[in-house]
This record gives sequence, C-alpha cells and structure tokens, in this order.
Amino acid sequence: MASLVPCPHCGQRPKEEFTIKGAALTRPAAGAEAADWFDYVYLRDNPRGAYEEYWHHTSGCRRWIVVTRDTVTHDVAASRDAADRARSEART
Amino acid sequence: MSDFRPILRPALATKKAVASAALKLSPLPEGTILHVLARSGEQDIVPLLDSLAKPAAHAVRPVSPGQWFIVHEEPMHHKEMKSLFAALEPRATGVDQSHGRVRIRIEGKMASRALSKGTAVDLDPSAFPIGQSAVTLIGHIAAHLTRVAPEAFEIIVLRGFAESLWDDLARMSLEYI
Ligand SMILES: [Zn+2]
Repeated sequence: MASLVPCPHCGQRPKEEFTIKGAALTRPAAGAEAADWFDYVYLRDNPRGAYEEYWHHTSGCRRWIVVTRDTVTHDVAASRDAADRARSEART
Repeated sequence: MSDFRPILRPALATKKAVASAALKLSPLPEGTILHVLARSGEQDIVPLLDSLAKPAAHAVRPVSPGQWFIVHEEPMHHKEMKSLFAALEPRATGVDQSHGRVRIRIEGKMASRALSKGTAVDLDPSAFPIGQSAVTLIGHIAAHLTRVAPEAFEIIVLRGFAESLWDDLARMSLEYI
C-alpha cells in the first residue's frame, strides 16, 4: 500500500480504497453554450502541480470527496466532502 | 413454475472452525442487520437511534456520515421491524439487510495482527477503541469493522463476499493457529 489519501470522514486510507473521477471542475449552467459544455466534458488541463480532483471513497464511507493534490509530489493540501464544497460554492 | 427452490442456509455453515489460544474466527448468528440512512440535513439522529435500539439491546454501529447499522443477534419480527422503521421516519429510512450481510467475529490476542495484514486502518486500541467502527478494504473486499471487546472484532460483509472473506481471514490467521 503506497499512496495514502486523507478522507475527511475516515482519515488516512490507501488509494486502493478510492476511485478517482478526475478534475473537480465547476459545472456550466444548464443553458450554457455548447462550447462550454464541450470544454467541461472533454477538455482537461493536465497541470503539473496543484490539482483539484474528485475521489470516491468506494470501499470506505462511499462519499465523494474533493482532494487538492500536487501531481508532482503527491502532497495533499486539502480534502473536503464534495457536498461541503458544493455548499460553500453556492454561497459565494 | 421453476423446480428451483432457494434454501436459506447460513452463508458460512460449511466453513471449518479456525481456532487456537491466540486467535479464533467464528461466524456470528444471522440475526438482524438494519441499514439506517438519514435524510440529508439530518446528521445527528444518534440520540433517536439510541432511544430506539437500547431498550431492545440492539447495537448501533456507525457506517458513514448519515448511515448506521442496527445489529441484533436474534432475527427481528416483521411487526417489530415495521414499527422501528416507522419510528425512524421522517428523519431517516431503514432497510432490512439481515439476509444481505453476514457477520464474522475474530478474537484473540493475535486478532488485530491478523487483520492488519488486510486493512490499513490503525487498529491500536488508542486509535481504534471499543465501539469504534470503520468501513475499509480487507484485502480486496470491502467490509465494516468494529472493535467489540479489547481483543475482539466484528466484521460485517456483503453475503456474496462472506465465504471469500472467511477464506482470506483463515489464510491470514494461519501463522497464529
Ligand atoms: Zn471515507
């Protein structure tokens, strides 16, 4: 068991317990332009460094979490429940 | 109509005992396992669950945010279950998982050593005291783990995985038998 991922509910767990869903992007509004949706669905930046990703704690609490991770060092700066993130975004 | 008649038999009925002075593996009675799911925004229903479970000596095990198992050694009568589920509403919903999940007990002074081969959860009593629960992978199988005594754990696993998990646990325990 190599990489550990902190779950806000379960603590440090091996990456094998998780499923990665990819970049945590802000969803366009329902009536947004086709180009915006194309961008959201298909295009990714693949940055070197800080990256926000959806992880699903599939073999644990089964919650979606948003992990802020460095793609070079695997240092994890933050890990939040996706519902909390959605709520804090809705407020701003 | 099909000639096939499903026969309910305990999932681990055919398993050979795994026991020594240091470690013992045993299937627990297939009594009652109820899965409770709180409605969103109803995170703190523990007092409600305790008030419903404690008088009947049912155990309440945390599963994940807003989810719990209510566990009992004996099967629950349909009527009792119906009234329990009614009492949970509208704050939470109960689902009968008594035939869907199986409980296994692993105990003895080497129990946590054996389990640690399969899970990354820190099982030291200071980090995982009596009453603490965690859902985790044990090898490749997701299971719900609870410390029920200083040297005893209860594992709740989906019925279809119970035999595989038992075989894995038996192999993990070999050096202590
Ligand atoms: Zn988790």
